[in-house]
Amino acid sequence: MTYLWLALAFIAAAAVAGVIFARQGTRSGEARSGEARSGEAAKHWKAVALAFAALAVLTAVFDSVMIGMELFHYDASHILGLKVGLAPIEDFAYPLAGVVALPGLWMWLTRKRSGGRGDESRSAGHNLKGLVPQALLASRPVSWINTAYPFAAAMLLTTREIDWVLIVGTFYFLIPYNLAMYGINDVFDYESDLKNPRKGGIEGALLQPHLHRPMLWLAAITNVPFLLVLAFAGGPVAWISLAVSAFAVVAYSVAGLRFKERPVLDSLTSSTHFVSPAVVGLALAGADVTPGLLVLLAAFFLWGMAAHAFGAVQDIEPDRQAGIGSIATVIGARRTVRLAVGLWLVAGLAMLATPWPGPLAAVIALPYIVNCAPYWNVTDTTAARTNVAWRRFIWLNYGSGFLVTLIFILQWSLTS
Amino acid sequence: MGVLYLLSLVLGIACMLLLDHRFRLFFWRDAKAAAIVTVVGVLFLLAWDLAGIGLGIFLRGEGTIATGLLIAPELPLEEPVFLLFLVLCTMVLYTGARRLLDLIPARRRESEREREIV
Repeated sequence: MTYLWLALAFIAAAAVAGVIFARQGTRSGEARSGEARSGEAAKHWKAVALAFAALAVLTAVFDSVMIGMELFHYDASHILGLKVGLAPIEDFAYPLAGVVALPGLWMWLTRKRSGGRGDESRSAGHNLKGLVPQALLASRPVSWINTAYPFAAAMLLTTREIDWVLIVGTFYFLIPYNLAMYGINDVFDYESDLKNPRKGGIEGALLQPHLHRPMLWLAAITNVPFLLVLAFAGGPVAWISLAVSAFAVVAYSVAGLRFKERPVLDSLTSSTHFVSPAVVGLALAGADVTPGLLVLLAAFFLWGMAAHAFGAVQDIEPDRQAGIGSIATVIGARRTVRLAVGLWLVAGLAMLATPWPGPLAAVIALPYIVNCAPYWNVTDTTAARTNVAWRRFIWLNYGSGFLVTLIFILQWSLTS
Repeated sequence: MGVLYLLSLVLGIACMLLLDHRFRLFFWRDAKAAAIVTVVGVLFLLAWDLAGIGLGIFLRGEGTIATGLLIAPELPLEEPVFLLFLVLCTMVLYTGARRLLDLIPARRRESEREREIV
């Protein structure tokens, strides 16, 4: 079975690369009609299919000969056992991956610069200029740590050593994960962001429409390989948590799902964005599930829900103008603020039920409650004023991270 | 120590390049792009081999037609040569198939024109 998984991982990577290259290769400029483009694409994939048919026959014959000559063999416990001649079915993965990816790369490298003067490529290059800086700005670097820290802390405290999975996973949850989360969000939020002067600075950037498609591709290219590698490093629990994590990232804002516009589901999904990295870390580290750990995760989840709900209050006006729903637009500013305070309170109280030194973390809830409480009687028309508290909130998280780290160090020294 | 396998591979590669040369398919159409595709393809498949070896799935055989020389544990000298052949074969087949597909509509148009004339 192992060989099958290995083959599927490489085929998936090859397929993603092949499709992207082929699309970029056929799109050789706006001058070309859509019909010519789709004809070109159809011809490309037909040729790929023909080439694979020939390769499959060659593989069946020559792989059998090579195995018959004892050039190589396989550990029988790792393969399915299904064979064509002497060739295990998994061996067809090599030509399949090659034929799916490489012709696409070839087509992209040899794409016609229509007009013959290279104008197309230059204008395409100009169009994509600024994509990476825009994407980085859009990914809220100030909040990167909020997803990387839960992963790294959960994994390090369980395994107590820094291995490659920890480094790769931390990097993934630091940058690519946020690129996807906020990149996808900003693409599908363009309409409401346009009416919201708050975006464009510390909390996100307006994303120009011509960068929307490249942004989505960038999110896919930077995330899929990491997800595959992390899935490879873990077992079924890690696969499920990675799948939930990736689904929450996409489902939050993508057209058709837009969980961010479904009250309650919006806060649940948003909190999943921050708690799931910790769960992935625990799953990759093979942590024991204890009641204390579950209470801790539940408290973290409530904290995340409160953070999301409170953050939505300031956007009530722009969201309503753009016809976007959220927990705050539906239940109103006042009740949302009170809900957030209540959730932080419960999260703090829950920490009291965790084993020592967990209860120390209960105190972390206090600054959030104090920060938010002055808006206890806020109305929908004054909701925008909560932005002041929201800006403080972003920096409060750094203070909380500091305290949480101290508690983790204490826990480490107590248990080692 | 046998060189039969290595020799067959080199011969296969030579045949692919002859086809390439005759029909101007790959290296003889755009050498730079072809070189990039070849290097990327071989490195990708080599990484796959190494992953399989690391997981203990791929085991080298003791066949008498191979040289028996290793460039890494369980990775014989012939393997990168084989991968090079596989990439060239793939690309000759693909570019050849594209050429054939391009010919079909041209012929159909020709026969339609003939029919109009008749």
